[in-house]
Amino acid sequence: MSVLLVEKVCVLGAGSTKYGKLSDSLADITVQASVSAIDSAGIEPKDIKASYISNVFGVADKQVHIGPVLMSRLGIPDKPSLTIESACGSGSVSFREAYANIAAGFYDCLIATGVEKVTHTGTEWTTTYFAYCSDFFYEGQAGASFPGLFASMARAYLTEFDATEEDFAKVAVKNHDNGCLNPKAHMQKKITIDDVMKSPVVASPLKLYDCCPFSDGASSVILCSEKFAKEHGGDYIEVIGSGRGGSAAALQGREHLTTIPSTKIASEAAYKMAGLTAKDIDFAEVHDCFTIAEVVDTEDLGFFEKGKGVQAVREDRTKLNSDISINPSGGLKSKGHPIGATGIGQVVEVFDQLTGNAGARTVKDAKVGLTHNFGATGASCAVHIFQSV
Amino acid sequence: MSVEEQVIENAKQGKLLTHKCTNCGFLHLSTAYYCLKCGSKGFENVLLPGTGTIATYTIITVAPAGFEKFTPYAFVVMLLDNEKLRISGFMAGISTPADLPVGTKAKITGFDERGIIIEKQ
Repeated sequence: MSVLLVEKVCVLGAGSTKYGKLSDSLADITVQASVSAIDSAGIEPKDIKASYISNVFGVADKQVHIGPVLMSRLGIPDKPSLTIESACGSGSVSFREAYANIAAGFYDCLIATGVEKVTHTGTEWTTTYFAYCSDFFYEGQAGASFPGLFASMARAYLTEFDATEEDFAKVAVKNHDNGCLNPKAHMQKKITIDDVMKSPVVASPLKLYDCCPFSDGASSVILCSEKFAKEHGGDYIEVIGSGRGGSAAALQGREHLTTIPSTKIASEAAYKMAGLTAKDIDFAEVHDCFTIAEVVDTEDLGFFEKGKGVQAVREDRTKLNSDISINPSGGLKSKGHPIGATGIGQVVEVFDQLTGNAGARTVKDAKVGLTHNFGATGASCAVHIFQSV
Repeated sequence: MSVEEQVIENAKQGKLLTHKCTNCGFLHLSTAYYCLKCGSKGFENVLLPGTGTIATYTIITVAPAGFEKFTPYAFVVMLLDNEKLRISGFMAGISTPADLPVGTKAKITGFDERGIIIEKQ
């Protein structure tokens, strides 16, 4: 199916709070990130025609329906908003909805903000409620946690391919190295393979340092038509590919236990729209909620053959400024994973990289960046491709 | 009885209720309402013995609420004998990977507050 795009879509501004354990309220951090995106774009709130807000567990901070709260605090309460839940993939879905509305010509300038605040609830609450994002009748009800579901993929990968737990650990070490260069990252701490291997087992074979942290945080971007971007001046980047896909909600229903079909479907659609292949991507922010996920993602996105993702990690081919820089921000693993914000936070990183604002973690000579974000074990997924202007 | 209640009642008898497409013969778990392969809505109930082999699993030490008292336990994905269909469930008494090599023979033995119960054969 071809897509009729009335308008080229650009990202004109981007901003995030720090990710980590935050004391400000859900509403406060939503506004903080949004204001930083507005300032980055050099626009005023009255330029914004509508908002797309991604959030999963607002109930944990006594605030759902966050969209109108944001618009009220920005002084534009008459502007419509839509709050979107798609588990850990919520951010990329809200970005996609904003993208589609500009591409179709409905609006010329929108804000997409993602937010999550859960660290005050504690590990048991988050472990329990995150499991509600699974196919609960078959998975959560039988005691599966999210680390447990990705651990099941990891066990299948270790069984099927030439891989070791140390290979997975190396993904964590690499992402922590990158995260140390990101002032907004949750875990700014260098770790070793030994640290990962000796960390407590959460769900065998995954250990604590194979898992991303539960984080608070908010990220926001301003999307607009190319005409609007040119009129307003300032740095912007262009969205050149957008794709979505789905997978069976439960792992048991997937043809392969080491492939996430939604990633393949979404990325193929995005590559096709952009007229590019995986070889053309300079860097990617991928959904590394667990170390195994990054390995599987880099295969499903077409960067490496199936079963060869670990070899690429072993050979340092995914480090910053190597063959393809994977998660220069530190990824979910080190930057953190405020689940409603993550997909938007990835776009913030791409914006910073392609506009020369990524500091010490800059991917050299990068022109094309990709974001990949999914919900649950990849039951829903969105991929976007961006290029510098 | 709802579809999920039927799965539960059969699991309590050590059986797995499945749906076979009357148009193309593709086999699904009984929570399927339309055929994954041909889109048809017609199914016949097929009761399987609930036996299979472990396709993959994890041993959970940090558990969701209600499961703390069972740790360590395994969440397993079992491939049903003679079929391409898998079913997930809870397996007690597993503390190290040596306890449960992939490929171990297993069977459904019940359903309780831990979901579908699967044990080693």
